[in-house]
Amino acid sequence: MDEKKSTVVYFCNTFNGDTDVINIPEILAYTEKLSGVSKVWLPADISLSDPEQVARKIKMNNLTRIVIAGSNPGMYKSLFSKSMVLSGNNPEDVFLAGFTEHGALNKADTPRAKAIVACAVFGVPFEIAAVHEELSVNPDTLVIGGGIAGIQASLEIAASKNKVYLVEKSGTIGGHMAMFDKTFPTLDCAACILTPKMVEIGQHPYIKLMTYCEVQDVKGVPGNYTVKILKKARRMSLATCIGCGICSEKCPVKTTSEFDAGTTLRKAAYIPFPQAVPNKYLIDESVCTYVLSGKCGVCVKVCPVPGCINLDEKDEVVEIDVGNIIVAIGFKTFDASKFEQFGYGKYPNVLTSLELERLINAAGPTGGKIAKRVQDKKGNWVFSPDEIYSPKSVAIIHCIGSRDENYNKYCSKVCCMYSLKLAHLLKEKLPDSEINEYYIDIRAYGKGYEEFYNRIKNEGVNIIRGRPAKVEQYGNDLIVRCEDIERARMIEQKVEMVILAVGTEPNTDSAKIAKLLGITVDANGWFNEYNYISDPVNTFTGGIVIAGVCQGPKDIPDSVAQASAAASRVLQSIANSRITNSIKDLSLEQIETKVKELSKQLEGQL
Amino acid sequence: MSQRVNLDLKNELFLYGAKEWNQCFQCGNCTATCHTTENGFFFPRKTVRQVLMGLKKSLQTNIDPWLCTYCGDCSRTCPRDANPAEMMMSIRRYLISVYDWTGISRLLYKSKALEIATILVLALIVMILYLLYTIFPSGDTAQWIGSDGGALINKMAPWKRIHLGDWIMAGGLVLLIITNVFYMWYKIIFEDKSVKVRFIDYFKVLLLFPKVFFPEKKYAKCDEKKLFLYWSLHLFLALSYAMMFTIIVFFLGWFQTDKVLPILHPQRLLGYISTLGLFVGIIYFYTNRTIKNMENSKYSHFTDWTFLILLFLTTLTGILLHFFRIYGMPQLTYITYLIHLMVLVPMLTIEVPFSKWSHMIYRPFSLYFAHLKRMVLLKHTLIMDNSTQQN
Repeated sequence: MDEKKSTVVYFCNTFNGDTDVINIPEILAYTEKLSGVSKVWLPADISLSDPEQVARKIKMNNLTRIVIAGSNPGMYKSLFSKSMVLSGNNPEDVFLAGFTEHGALNKADTPRAKAIVACAVFGVPFEIAAVHEELSVNPDTLVIGGGIAGIQASLEIAASKNKVYLVEKSGTIGGHMAMFDKTFPTLDCAACILTPKMVEIGQHPYIKLMTYCEVQDVKGVPGNYTVKILKKARRMSLATCIGCGICSEKCPVKTTSEFDAGTTLRKAAYIPFPQAVPNKYLIDESVCTYVLSGKCGVCVKVCPVPGCINLDEKDEVVEIDVGNIIVAIGFKTFDASKFEQFGYGKYPNVLTSLELERLINAAGPTGGKIAKRVQDKKGNWVFSPDEIYSPKSVAIIHCIGSRDENYNKYCSKVCCMYSLKLAHLLKEKLPDSEINEYYIDIRAYGKGYEEFYNRIKNEGVNIIRGRPAKVEQYGNDLIVRCEDIERARMIEQKVEMVILAVGTEPNTDSAKIAKLLGITVDANGWFNEYNYISDPVNTFTGGIVIAGVCQGPKDIPDSVAQASAAASRVLQSIANSRITNSIKDLSLEQIETKVKELSKQLEGQL
Repeated sequence: MSQRVNLDLKNELFLYGAKEWNQCFQCGNCTATCHTTENGFFFPRKTVRQVLMGLKKSLQTNIDPWLCTYCGDCSRTCPRDANPAEMMMSIRRYLISVYDWTGISRLLYKSKALEIATILVLALIVMILYLLYTIFPSGDTAQWIGSDGGALINKMAPWKRIHLGDWIMAGGLVLLIITNVFYMWYKIIFEDKSVKVRFIDYFKVLLLFPKVFFPEKKYAKCDEKKLFLYWSLHLFLALSYAMMFTIIVFFLGWFQTDKVLPILHPQRLLGYISTLGLFVGIIYFYTNRTIKNMENSKYSHFTDWTFLILLFLTTLTGILLHFFRIYGMPQLTYITYLIHLMVLVPMLTIEVPFSKWSHMIYRPFSLYFAHLKRMVLLKHTLIMDNSTQQN
């Protein structure tokens, strides 16, 4: 093959306007130097609509093999096969060098793209040439993120008597699911499902729970990672705190509660919520007067356990060794104040769905009563549990920040269903109220979901097709302006409360975590999986798997399923005591030598 | 109303400057955000739907694109970037070509080359006529300078002859535009069987006069406050244009004098004000279309540029002509006058009945028709409501 120089490499159009694409000129230069390659064609060189012209060119240059290189070269194969037949060659001598297929996506993957072309030129399948290296495995696992996905993955692994470190950024595990009141479509109480699991995590002998901690640095190879974890100072001893709450009672500083989605206030010495795991108090250093100015210290004086509160505690860094890492860092909700036309943040009774979720919850700011915000004597807008202030009419607007070219182009997948659930819960608590849902398309896509949608429709909720353009306040009422498409009329609906069904967005830390772990994110910021269809939990980096919403929007059942899948991946490597390194870490030279060896073997066989 | 789905409608509208709108998912955001939407006038989603479905007949009888104020709210908030506002403008261009029964408009809109060729041919005809009927100031040019130092313009191009040309051209154009408006009425009112307009209604609706002809009040509702300047300058430009047009068509003898009058004389003052309006307006719209920072100037069809450039050249040559005349430069005056006419005549002939200028006529008429339709519809529903109540 080398002497004949009869191969042509055709580069199909791989430029898509992105700046971060594979460096094609560099690959071109590399390809021309490969032995056996006599010609390189670019899209401009041949006409794709004319196989006969291509055939003539093949004959003229005495070519016998064709390699099609590019992001998705498969679509050109039929044309070149035809040309090969027309020029009297074997149509099976058309080879593909697909960059996307073998994971060469960005500029950094240029060496891999070179290797892909080299494999195709030498006729060696890339999968064979790029054999993964096998490494030994540390049986301990690190799970980043203590939401439902992280909890599920930890429990699965710990159930097989392997050690798990569960690292959570906030003071408690539970994540977003702990904030929800009910789950769709079964309307089970979210806390009833989640809290037993949380408690199990807290008591499990194989799980080392590290709340209020952050991953700072990751080093090592797949199977043997050394992870530096920043233990932020809780300023209260996890061991001795008895959870009596006197410190919080006496603490003079107030700030908004993250757990209640900003609807209530909490103290600087606080517990995120009463069922928190670990059920221990901590001090928020960003607002604590003692930390900020060195005065106060009331909590130390009132604490019944001597030495429990140490306001001068410093952050510390601990190092742990793990074999696998599961990333389950979840999501954040879309910032509804970006939509000026809906007046979130401007009108007191325009709420996000997460805020309403807390409002409905029996442990929420109003004890489960649906209430409007009213002005108190000091002029602050607060939720009033008084019955006269319960809204008579509520509008729920779908697709806030999802399916929108100006914000997030993707569908957030859960908003339709949770909006229907919220409509049901509102109807349950306020049977006489008028609930309007404004949607673009209803996406009820799962088991029992369509039935749930029909059930809500029959409950007397007005489900209106049309995207409202604006919400305006007149007096105490809000006006929603919308076109009712199915009934062909304009609506200016007077309501007392507007709920914005905000979509999901990648977590604030996801870019940082991706960089630490050497995994990639897609255009929207979600983590890239190895293969969306067949391998949604592995990443291109060995020993690192992803689970939950951080991979892409999904609901609780899907998150749980994916977390279990991630755990099974990890247990697989622990059971084999071997982990396969990903192809990414192989160098071009390694592949080249392998290709040459293999091609010689192949020729020998022939 | 049954009608045939026209699959070529989309491709045809692309020629009128429409952008891709297949991404529209019919969410109704554009209708809800539009401040001209009322019940019965579904704006602009109904029009988008007609285009998506290829309902050519419905589109041709649609009045909505004329009611659009092009504030750009819908395009700005469209979740799919489907540019409904720009589409309304493209459909306006399409409708101009529909109302023009001669079919010339369609040809000019579809072909840039033909439009430029027409301008050049018309300019050539004007040049020949001008050279035949006027006198070139040659030899001793001192005899062409008046006692006050200005060039004697009426000796070179007597205003009576120019006036005659004016009137012949104006007559033709008025005839064309009136027949076009009649065809517009036929499409919008006559072909729409859902609205039965009685003869008396045409006069009744005139009682709503201020609402019909001064729709600018509605603009205040628009979210985009930047547009205040845009609309003021547009109004200033249109008024200046109308003033200049009236002066030249009806009072050329008063305006084109050999004697250089004092600067505060109404003749010069009016001339300066309207020239200022034209000049400032043109520069503003030109920069807007180049910078593209506003929704309503993001996309420009070539006919938009043609109108702007021709209007600019007309104004510029008019200004130069004025100064050459005042400062006594007869030969330059003569040549500038020629160029002025060579730009002005093609502009009016092409733009007035066949292109962008015609919105000055169609828009007031469309508002008139819209109010007429609305009045009749309202009365109709009122009667229906009453009868249902009695039952």
